[in-house]
Amino acid sequence: MIERELLVANKLGLHARATAKLVQALAPYRCNATLTAKGREVNAKSIMGVMLLAAGHGTPVVLRVEGEDAAAAVDAVAALFERRFDEDS
Amino acid sequence: MAVGILLVTHSGIGSALVAVASGLLRNLPLKVEAFEVPFAGDPEALLPQASAALRKVDDGAGVLVLTDLYGATPSNLAARLARLGTPVRRVSALNLPMLLRVLNYPELPLDELPAVATAGARNGVVVDDA
Repeated sequence: MIERELLVANKLGLHARATAKLVQALAPYRCNATLTAKGREVNAKSIMGVMLLAAGHGTPVVLRVEGEDAAAAVDAVAALFERRFDEDS
Repeated sequence: MAVGILLVTHSGIGSALVAVASGLLRNLPLKVEAFEVPFAGDPEALLPQASAALRKVDDGAGVLVLTDLYGATPSNLAARLARLGTPVRRVSALNLPMLLRVLNYPELPLDELPAVATAGARNGVVVDDA
């Protein structure tokens, strides 16, 4: 199981469009993934699950991934967070 | 073969939800159409158009019909669509969380989608805990 701490750095936080990008980034991978924020762990592949975290700008989150393609999935998600979901310029 | 989604609602509701879902997801993973019934609409006269909308989203795997208000004219019209022959499941009280959740599971067969839609709509209700 791979665990990675990430920071929600974009201005609007994990809002609907950012969440959609996160879920779409994870969709091609077969592994199981969860996202934990503010003490709640949700299925990272579920758009409604992640939205209910209401993780705003500056919220630290933990990504946990388990499965054969876990490493690639973690890298993809980490890169997306790093790029601030391609939102802020 | 993928299930199609047909929204049957009062004016302004279905099209707005499809527009926002498209804006959020950019690519919709399933065919989605919105059919709106104006207040002056005659269900009898609208049935052919509604049926055409149903056919547009039907790929052979059936159609999930989402309505805004059970018992209202759009919902009653949707009930008639369900009897035309194409496999149809109807769920009412359509909201944006319901639509997003359904689109999150595009690989599911028609008979599993009503539960997904229902859960999405209900779990979307968050009472402000401030």
